[in-house]
Amino acid sequence: MVGRAWRSSVRVERVDADGLRLWSTVDRPVNVFFGDQRVWSLWLRRDTTPVGALGVRRHAEWPRPLQRFLDGRTEASVRDAASGDELWAGPLSFGDSDVEIRVVNRDGATLGMDKSGKLVPTFGTRSQTDIDGLVAATVEVLTVLRKGGVEPFVAYGTLLGAVREGRVLGHDSDADVAYVSDHTTPVDVCRESFRLQRVVHEMGYETHRYSGAAFRVAVREGDGHVRGLDVFGGFLDEDRLYLMGEVGVDFRPEWLRPLRTARLEGVDVPVPARPEKMLEAMYGAGWQVPDPAFVFTTPRRTVRALNDWFRGLTPDQNQWERHFAIRRDKDLRARPSRLARVAADEARARGAEVLDVGAGRGSDAVWLARQGLSVTAYDFVPRALEQAVGLAEAEGLPLEVRSLSLAQIRSVLGEGARLGHAPQPRPRVVLARHVLDATDAHGRAMFARFCSMALRRGGVVVAELRPGGAEEPTDRPRRSVDPDTVVAQWRAAGARDVTVQTVERSAGAAPAVRLVGEWPS
Amino acid sequence: MRLKNPIRSSGTAALEQRIADLEADVAELRRHHLRLAEIADLVQELLIPLADRDEARTQAAIERFNESL
Repeated sequence: MVGRAWRSSVRVERVDADGLRLWSTVDRPVNVFFGDQRVWSLWLRRDTTPVGALGVRRHAEWPRPLQRFLDGRTEASVRDAASGDELWAGPLSFGDSDVEIRVVNRDGATLGMDKSGKLVPTFGTRSQTDIDGLVAATVEVLTVLRKGGVEPFVAYGTLLGAVREGRVLGHDSDADVAYVSDHTTPVDVCRESFRLQRVVHEMGYETHRYSGAAFRVAVREGDGHVRGLDVFGGFLDEDRLYLMGEVGVDFRPEWLRPLRTARLEGVDVPVPARPEKMLEAMYGAGWQVPDPAFVFTTPRRTVRALNDWFRGLTPDQNQWERHFAIRRDKDLRARPSRLARVAADEARARGAEVLDVGAGRGSDAVWLARQGLSVTAYDFVPRALEQAVGLAEAEGLPLEVRSLSLAQIRSVLGEGARLGHAPQPRPRVVLARHVLDATDAHGRAMFARFCSMALRRGGVVVAELRPGGAEEPTDRPRRSVDPDTVVAQWRAAGARDVTVQTVERSAGAAPAVRLVGEWPS
Repeated sequence: MRLKNPIRSSGTAALEQRIADLEADVAELRRHHLRLAEIADLVQELLIPLADRDEARTQAAIERFNESL
């Protein structure tokens, strides 16, 4: 009976260059296939717009990431995500081309849409060798975490795959691991997560922290593709469980421990004592029904708690990563900024090295190094500096690239300590071009702290910012800054003289403010 | 007397304000956890080796710490 009700309530009317046109009174997920490849998942009502007054006739455009592939022909189908029932099938053509549409990345790996709406190489399009490789890496990270003194288990999509299907989910693109700390206070949960990251790092894995209780481990697969394993920390306080990044529920300790095992791709992996309770905490009561287009609807109370306790270490990171990814293949700017020329003059006059904080893609850093100056280029998106590293290696430039995040106390003070203990300390020039208007108040305070540590033997800071924040639409996150506050921070951090001047910019653009701060030797 | 919204009295508005204030106060306190954890980690991993005054061990501790972030 259920089957009949389902069929009568959904009808895909047509699929063409404009997208999907359908008729539905129910909201459930469907998959769109090109051939055997799942390229898109959507909910029949949530992800469509009504056509006409009744709201049952619906339309969905092709999602933006998919649009650039839509030139040529394919055999398409639309199928129910849970049952696999075919709702529509037929030939599909875009434009005049007769070429078969291939949704692949630059390495030729086939792509599918993950739950955040990005096209990524998903397990559904990967070989069994790759899946086995990731399962092996998951087991390895689980082992390392266990050595670190916690009891890890597979979580989120990986737990769902193991418990519901015994396999990794076809629409998932990474593996998730979690543990519930013995600590009951967020401060201790963060400290433990820091320690665990060190343990994993010392095993030779590249790691990236994105909150106080979660970090990512990069696992390199056989074909060179790098996949991320997320390690989420959590804690139980009385009978309430908080688990990064979506869980805040009443939860009984006996539902968690002792851990048991479930089969994932033929391998035993640890899961909570009552995995169904954990899955309900993560995905709601509907976790048993497959939903590749699942969107978390985490309660506000949980989001607030997790944000306040653990998040804020990587502000604007996604926007900056995207900003730099788009420009990855673009040549670096050959001409230096005006501020870089000022930094070069200062460095020559003092026999100083240059610290370019927030170097971005490194155009100025490369130019400065080509002038024969010793340069350290810092950014919190170190991949942005890949081209600069290549040039420095090819030309033998005195340029070093390091990671620095003004949002992270440990990063700023750790790098400050390194500079303070440099074997042959020299005077330094700190260059900060549009950094203070990219970071927040905490970041600006940390920048002053960094300068106080880096300039113990004297030097100068040259900075430019736009006080009013973004003046035109831009993909660079900008914030408004009060230059007087910056001056006060620098003075408190040891600057002797600070000058502030307005710098005219190209036609029509609002002037920038240049600050020059002198630290005595 | 005419009330724009008789259900939402001034008492309710005051309570709403107090809830908003309390939420902000809680957030303020919660944000100390991460900062404190960062500083405690620094003290444990860097300050203690630095107090050794052994330059080689200090350098190694700093490098190890920075690389693991």
